[in-house]
Amino acid sequence: MRLLLWWGGRALVSAATLLGVSILIFAAVRMMPGGFAETVLGPFATADQKAALAEQYGLDQPIPAQYWHWLSAVVTGDFGTSMISRTPVADELGARLPVTAELTLIAIAVALLAGVPLGVLTAVRARPGGGGAAGRLLSGLGVSVPEFVLAALTVFLFSRYALGLRAGGHVPFGEDPAGNLRSMILPALVLSIFALSATARTTRDAVLNVLVEPYVTAAVARGERPSSIVLHHVLRNAAAPVVTLTATIAAYLLGGALIVEYAFNLPGIGSFIVQAITRRDYAVVQAGVLLAAAVFIVMNMLVDLAVGLIDPRLGTEAGGK
Amino acid sequence: MRKAIRGLDRLSRAGLACLLVLVLLALVPLTGLAGDPDEIAGPRLQPPGPEFWMGTDNLGRAMLPRVLEGIGTTLLLSSAAVAVTAAVSTGFGVLAGYRGGAVNGLVMRLVEVLYAFPAIILAILVAAVMGPGRPAALAAIVLVTIPLMTRLVRGAAAGVAGRDYVTSAVISGARLPRVLGRHVLPNVAGTVAVQGTYALSVGITVEGGLSFLGLGVQPPQASLGSLIAEGTGYLVAAPWLVSGPGAVLVVAILSINVFGDGLRDRLEPRETRSLV
Amino acid sequence: MRHVKLAATAAAALMLTAACTAGETTSAGNTGAKNGYAAVADTSLPAGGVLKLQTHVDTGAATGLDPQMADVATSWQLMSLVYETLVTVGPDFSIQPLLAERWETPDPTTYVFHLRKGVTFSNGRAMTADDVVGSLERLRKAKSVWSGQLGPITSVSKTGDGTVTVKLSEPYTPFLAALANVPAAVLPMKEIEDGSVKPKDEMVGTGPFTVVSHRQDVSWSFKRNAKYWSQGKPALEGLEIGIAADEAARVAALQNGQASMAVLGNVDSRTTLRGATGVQVADQATTDFYYLFTNTRKPGSKLADPRVRTALNLAMDREQIAQVATGGLGKPTAVTPAGLPDTCDPKTLPSASGDLDKARGLLQQAGAQNLSFTLSIYSTRPAPAVAQVIQQNLKRIGVTVNIEQMDEASWAGKVYAAKPTFDAGLSWFAGYSDPAMAMRWWNPEQAIFNTAFMKPDAELNTLIAAAGKATAGAERKQALSAVCTKVDEDAQMIPLVTRPATLGFRSDAVSPGLYATEGYGNLLRLVTDFRAKKVG
Repeated sequence: MRLLLWWGGRALVSAATLLGVSILIFAAVRMMPGGFAETVLGPFATADQKAALAEQYGLDQPIPAQYWHWLSAVVTGDFGTSMISRTPVADELGARLPVTAELTLIAIAVALLAGVPLGVLTAVRARPGGGGAAGRLLSGLGVSVPEFVLAALTVFLFSRYALGLRAGGHVPFGEDPAGNLRSMILPALVLSIFALSATARTTRDAVLNVLVEPYVTAAVARGERPSSIVLHHVLRNAAAPVVTLTATIAAYLLGGALIVEYAFNLPGIGSFIVQAITRRDYAVVQAGVLLAAAVFIVMNMLVDLAVGLIDPRLGTEAGGK
Repeated sequence: MRKAIRGLDRLSRAGLACLLVLVLLALVPLTGLAGDPDEIAGPRLQPPGPEFWMGTDNLGRAMLPRVLEGIGTTLLLSSAAVAVTAAVSTGFGVLAGYRGGAVNGLVMRLVEVLYAFPAIILAILVAAVMGPGRPAALAAIVLVTIPLMTRLVRGAAAGVAGRDYVTSAVISGARLPRVLGRHVLPNVAGTVAVQGTYALSVGITVEGGLSFLGLGVQPPQASLGSLIAEGTGYLVAAPWLVSGPGAVLVVAILSINVFGDGLRDRLEPRETRSLV
Repeated sequence: MRHVKLAATAAAALMLTAACTAGETTSAGNTGAKNGYAAVADTSLPAGGVLKLQTHVDTGAATGLDPQMADVATSWQLMSLVYETLVTVGPDFSIQPLLAERWETPDPTTYVFHLRKGVTFSNGRAMTADDVVGSLERLRKAKSVWSGQLGPITSVSKTGDGTVTVKLSEPYTPFLAALANVPAAVLPMKEIEDGSVKPKDEMVGTGPFTVVSHRQDVSWSFKRNAKYWSQGKPALEGLEIGIAADEAARVAALQNGQASMAVLGNVDSRTTLRGATGVQVADQATTDFYYLFTNTRKPGSKLADPRVRTALNLAMDREQIAQVATGGLGKPTAVTPAGLPDTCDPKTLPSASGDLDKARGLLQQAGAQNLSFTLSIYSTRPAPAVAQVIQQNLKRIGVTVNIEQMDEASWAGKVYAAKPTFDAGLSWFAGYSDPAMAMRWWNPEQAIFNTAFMKPDAELNTLIAAAGKATAGAERKQALSAVCTKVDEDAQMIPLVTRPATLGFRSDAVSPGLYATEGYGNLLRLVTDFRAKKVG
């Protein structure tokens, strides 16, 4: 019961956060200089044409009224109409979401599947005093190469020397699953490098922390096999920080995806939002950012849930922050 | 601080040394020896040679002074931004952590809202609202780095608030500024220093990302990000345009991260470690 | 210092790769070019196949797909696949028949067009004289850019079966050239009037292709119009157009074969693609040109003083701008775009003396020795490069230029504001296909978009009108020259250099045709002749 109550509170707080995001993004979009009219109508448009457009999209209303209309529509699932494509924003978001989702999911999978073992390995093998320098440097390098550098280099190298992979362009999964994978592998790898290094670093720290715990020493004293110690004691107890990190990474990847989508010409959410910002397509920017924020907030709740399951002592406390 | 540096391991000290070298390089243009970074000095896209050590760019400007200017711009911009972040985060973090209650709730909700924006989108929005240029890049870095640092400072401050020596100071009638200044601030300083180094590397990345999308510093001023953004169009025609600034950028971020790791090992207890 | 070494190794590897690829070269000039053409399609190749093109931007106007409202070349290019005009432009800017088989000009204000027979819209209905009349009438009422460019039309009428007569109130020499651009296309007026076709949302024309699908900012798919009037054309089965905002992504697509053709924006694309097997680069000169404009209506602006503007114009090194900012692909130009027949030679303009001492003297007289102003530009290349060369040019006479680079929306919001606060701006005009067209923008009363920052000059307006009226020959050349000189002296909007266009293509996948110089920014003008290779 207490837990249920706690989750109710958590959901309320999340909703409040989302409301805050909606206000902030709405205000930011309206504060951008350069009107939608100049952008979508061009310099030759007459005052009448501009006024007609403003009326069509409700932009002649006072800002608070606009916000209220927008918010009440969003609650019913109506994200408005794009001024550029003149189609419902929800349709295009729906078409683009799978691309970004696939990109980030592959990246997270790679980060966890490679990062966790790498972290455990470097922690278990770490000798006191040095030895870790090479690993630290390597994972440090991973978090130090910005996506835009890595993406540009990868696109350039793989467009000349393809090696069976595709650098740039998107193949829908429904059309050609193998082609889809070939086109997603490179951007997902570029996107995952940071997350991978970060996961490895966090795992290593977490494992090092656990290794000095008395129950591990006790297990060693009991003569348990090292692999069994890692599996039964270390991983379970080191999991919480790694799971917590996954939420941070997911949020980070949504942003990183934007650069990668741009460089690899993938029709995802990120490139959609950027283009909408540059063209003042208000409804699209608002919907895109709200969606990204919602994903982030839900991820955080899921992580709290997962951490609570792994280690009941931590669950509610971690969420309270 | 000196003690802290002495206690660093070799790798972190190497990182610090690299940073110092970069700072020195950034100071070279002040001597006037490097040449005018904006002057069209020779033919376009000249490879590195005796006349132009790092070659020339697509406008025939010497790359050497441009890279030096770029180091300065990037370092100055990101450290100024991190200083602002540190001040704001320490203020709000300490207040929220020490006071708790409604203040804490309000600060944390605001931070949460900012945190929910993907970093680069937040940066692009700031650049769009303010118009591209240094002030916008600075503001973008600040907004992107504030949430995490505020959270961690709050955590550290909340941890200190419950300690016996703080309680006894409050009981013995010490005023709030004194309690904060004498007991709380010194205990969150480590967190701020460590997070500051990470924020610095995030700042460099954000500035670079903005420039990559054409929203960074104003031409003709060079930053590492703007040089790389310009250079990526010339990976074949003039690879020296991207290799120089690219290498410097990676070295800068790497040095900062490695130094930050060392600092963290020295200053922070393991439990409050954070990653990015 | 281990990481320094690491980075140095990476850099060395990068350079090595570049050195290796620079070894193999394909001749880019080998496109079978002949006079007036940058590339000629090999029409002996079999028909069929699909052209995969990548371009940088989609149509994106609130006015949708209505060709009459389209005011940018990128939209004209896409729409030209579906829509056709009465006449079209030849390689030397001569006017060629298209939907009109022939025409007569019984007097300088009357044009009689004889329509081609057997032309149908893609919905199967035959094109009639009523469609032509209705389209032109609709355009006249549209209040679009093109209704102005089309000239002083007084009436459009059907004067027989398949004959349409257009009457002008006074002679207007660019009329046919204006009629040759997409906004003057013949629309299916019967369907538009009964509401079954909405030109804003769908395209139904007489052109060589029809739309299969469109995803905003992602892709277009066109297929051959089976009912196209010209036998055996188009040769291509269809076009797949991808939108890729990032230049590097387009270059990559060209190299790995995902695109057989790509619109390129970097003036050094030729060097970039050197050594990419099978890839060729064709540079096309265009009549589009960059110009610097000043806000002479800003209170207290030193730029309102003609002496200051003359000084700036004198210090502008157009040759250097062309060589450095456009990599030698652009050409210095007067207000009549370089490359058009009867255009003015920029070397004959008063500012061509480049007399810097005179410029400094003028600044001194105007009390503007330490002039400093902000130049507002947008980030689309090569505009920043042009601005930076200008900055260096003006530094020579002690003028400080602060560049303010913005995204296009902010830029447009700033310079087209009702009460603009900017000092000076940089942009480019489409140069069109007749030298007397773009100059109309120097009359703010006609241009409208610049009334808020440009003061009209009665003498200049008279000269511009006279140049439009003057009939071909010596008289026209003289009238154009008078405008060029006057614009150069007025210097509120200063023409600089033409803006090049570059098309990359895979010679193993496509054989394209391309004029050497283009007036309406249409790289697909000769698309009906394009051949796709590796068919079947």
